[in-house]
Amino acid sequence: MEKILEKRSLQSWMKKLDSWTIYAPRKDGSERWNYGIAQNDSVGLNFTVTTLPAKALVFPQREVFLEFLKTVEESQETLKVNEVIPGKNPVVIFGVRPCDARAVSLLDRVFSGDFVDPYYWARRKQTVLVGLACDTPPWENCFCLSTEGSPHSEEGLDVLLTDLGDKYFVKTLTENGEKLVNLAKGLFKEPRLEDKKKAKAVHAEAEKKIVRRVKRAKKDLAAKLKGLFDSPLWDDESMSCIRCGICTYLCPSCHCFDINDEVDSVSPLRGKRVRTWDNCQFPDFTMHSSGHNPRPDKASRLRQRLFHKFQYFVEIYDKTMCTGCGRCISLCPVGIDIINVLDKVSDHGS
Amino acid sequence: MAKIEDLKEEARKLLREGKIKYVIGYAAGTNGWMASPIFIKKPEDVEKLVWDPTCVHNLSRFLVDEKRRKEREKQPDKRPVGIFVKGCDSRAIVVLLQEKFIDRNDVYILGISCEKGGVVDEHKLARKLEGKKPKKIELGDKGQLVVTTANRKAEFPVEELLAERCLECRANFPVISDIMSGEKIKRTVEKPFGSVEKMERMPKEERWRFWKEQLDKCIRCYACRSVCPMCYCDECVVDSINLAVSADTTAEEKADKVKWIQRSAESSENFVYHFVRAIHLAGRCIDCGECERACPLDIPVRFLNKKLEREAKELFGYEVGFDPAQPSLVSSFRDDDPEDFIR
Amino acid sequence: MDHSVYIPKLAKIIQVKEEVGGARAIKTFRTVFANGQGFDHRCGQCAMLSVFGKGESMISISSSPLVKDYLQFSILKMGRVTTALHEMEVGDLIGIRGPYGNGFPIDDWKGKNLLFIGGGIGLAPIWSVLQTALTRKEEYGNLTLIYGARTSKDIVFKEELADLKKKMTVFLSIDVAEPDWEEFVGFVPQNVSDKKPGPANTIAITCGPPIMIKFVIKALKDLSFEDEQIYTTVENKMKCGIGKCGRCNIGLHYVCKDGPVYSWAELKKLPQEY
Repeated sequence: MEKILEKRSLQSWMKKLDSWTIYAPRKDGSERWNYGIAQNDSVGLNFTVTTLPAKALVFPQREVFLEFLKTVEESQETLKVNEVIPGKNPVVIFGVRPCDARAVSLLDRVFSGDFVDPYYWARRKQTVLVGLACDTPPWENCFCLSTEGSPHSEEGLDVLLTDLGDKYFVKTLTENGEKLVNLAKGLFKEPRLEDKKKAKAVHAEAEKKIVRRVKRAKKDLAAKLKGLFDSPLWDDESMSCIRCGICTYLCPSCHCFDINDEVDSVSPLRGKRVRTWDNCQFPDFTMHSSGHNPRPDKASRLRQRLFHKFQYFVEIYDKTMCTGCGRCISLCPVGIDIINVLDKVSDHGS
Repeated sequence: MAKIEDLKEEARKLLREGKIKYVIGYAAGTNGWMASPIFIKKPEDVEKLVWDPTCVHNLSRFLVDEKRRKEREKQPDKRPVGIFVKGCDSRAIVVLLQEKFIDRNDVYILGISCEKGGVVDEHKLARKLEGKKPKKIELGDKGQLVVTTANRKAEFPVEELLAERCLECRANFPVISDIMSGEKIKRTVEKPFGSVEKMERMPKEERWRFWKEQLDKCIRCYACRSVCPMCYCDECVVDSINLAVSADTTAEEKADKVKWIQRSAESSENFVYHFVRAIHLAGRCIDCGECERACPLDIPVRFLNKKLEREAKELFGYEVGFDPAQPSLVSSFRDDDPEDFIR
Repeated sequence: MDHSVYIPKLAKIIQVKEEVGGARAIKTFRTVFANGQGFDHRCGQCAMLSVFGKGESMISISSSPLVKDYLQFSILKMGRVTTALHEMEVGDLIGIRGPYGNGFPIDDWKGKNLLFIGGGIGLAPIWSVLQTALTRKEEYGNLTLIYGARTSKDIVFKEELADLKKKMTVFLSIDVAEPDWEEFVGFVPQNVSDKKPGPANTIAITCGPPIMIKFVIKALKDLSFEDEQIYTTVENKMKCGIGKCGRCNIGLHYVCKDGPVYSWAELKKLPQEY
């Protein structure tokens, strides 16, 4: 359904959602926006883009899988292993950019399939995403139009808000979204024809403002990449890489992880098995225990990042594993620009 | 005024004559207004080099990669690499020489003096321009910064836009070089540790709260470690596996590697990581400030280094990165050392 | 709700046998599940073994699926988890989750001769196929094993091999001559070239160090084996075992899920990222 919400009523809407934990973008002591639990003070959605994508709330950097405890009583050893599935904690995230929501729908695919990831889904199923369409690109390196998306994409969202000046054009996209709106029925008005027109105009205008594009996309790009696995291009383009984790940790669709045991006490043995984010740019990611490393240099690691996103994922899921948010470009400390690299791939041999 | 035309000519000549392997310099970035590192192998590409107050990167970081590359290659090309350095960057090279990590013949240093300028702070600039994107930033004749945006040109005193580290810089021209551009103007810095002193004035509890909040934000992307030219160890306590493991390392040696830090980005682990990082840079950090600039969450990690820099100066009269022949702080002992436990 | 895919089942160690001592020690473990809650596996599949407090390690199951009483793992001491496993004794509890991977397509091999070629610990992954084929000997043609190790001390399954010689053709080798050694001296690929097994109606299954596999394949090609007749297993660093954590991939294949077994025809099309 489509509704209108006055901006000054946003706060009242959130108040009606008291059985949810509400996250919204906020600035905490620095210039950057990030999600925080919305307090009773005024919450506006006048943010640009969060540094950490919404992924961090459904696929947190640390997830406890299980707890173990080994006790010895009268020389009888017992080992207890308890599974720790995230408990009931319904969450609404306000202010999700469409690119970040689309990325969550990519994660949905990864964490389904033959093996369903119960930790991811325990959080995902109780998370409602309220998106905010971009009226102007949050940063100069947005390129969502090249990755099957748009500044007003609805994929992965439950509700999409479009800023019409003093009010939001509200479009519910799922049952969960409708439920959120229905809980505060009185605050929402029926849209007039000109509201609908204006929302459409905002969307069209926003598309025009996105200046960056990749020359080839999806299957076309995937096919081109496939032939360039052994190209010296990767050596050249990775020269300035410093092998940090910014491009992957802050990517809304990167999902590689590590699993480790954390010991709290040695005797009795007590600890946890935890999942943490990991990333393909760290040399130890693929290093065998023997010291052998199948991806021993920066070139092979940069290639893996791009192949995973623009070749392997396209072949497996028929989707690009990139939503064009531009974080990896804008936040790279040494200016590695994947649009630029992908265009070199596109131009190769022509 | 520092112009890099002479340096470019020199670079072109060296490349043409095959005397250097490649040149590490700055080029216009493709991702916005900032310059990016560039690696130039062909003389005709030297044209791409730029020099302006957005050349923030400490390129000496890439000398670490170059050393690793040579170690991996069966028949390494041992020619030196040309490298553009600012004052701070040159001091990093001094430390790498002092620690014998590299040899003086490994580098051909193309120095540039920042003179009255330095590099801009991205956030200060964003605030000044109120969200507008700069197109060009230059150091003006009168020592001011000239910023061009889409529809206007504005001038600002350097103090308003320069990075904190530049405002506290004590070597705004290269201390070591093979060729240099610009004048060796020593800028007077009234309070070289002003930012640390401000931090120290905070009451203890408040300071603790401040650091806890800051370090809790850390996602351990290790950009601060990775961007640092001094963080060149193969064996770092934060890695899941010792990168120096070889086919001869025994299973026991690997199994005995103590996990000092868990991978979880939790408070306790983040504190240990940042303190280990800072302490390993004591007497080695040359305050290029790259760790703080690279941080995607704006954690002010530079303070930790700056604090230790001051300790080294006050306790041992030690200043980092001016003399390659000077023994390093942690490997030297003077008879007049106030601590007598070692005698 | 079913147990999470990441939660291991508890299993008790019922037998530990030292195969090889020294710096590159190998031990064989037999385990039974604590609550009788086991799983059925296919030949060549792997399982994720846990030592709680140390972590997990992916190990191939060396017992035949026809053996229902226990699971067997032969483990080379290599890192943190395997060193901890080597310290374990009969009665100790470990965690096991799995089985993972594709396994060998042994049903397709019925009526064919099977040629097993192994080096060092590489005998473990093919041991389950070998034992299964041996139990159902009537379903397969000739069975041959060519196996080698650095020294006679590094040979695994010594007793079993002696017994095996009575049931099938076995050629052993060691890298360097030793006084009492009466069989072939040289590397495994050289032994393959020396014994000249024929490709007719034969499947070759090889496993061992990467460098050995490379030259075994070359030797087999010289003997006119087709790419489709050669099978091998691949290993990479693994964490999840279910194709999600993102580190063991070779191209778009996750070795943990889509591997570890590949025909040379399949493997040679993939990038060299292993």
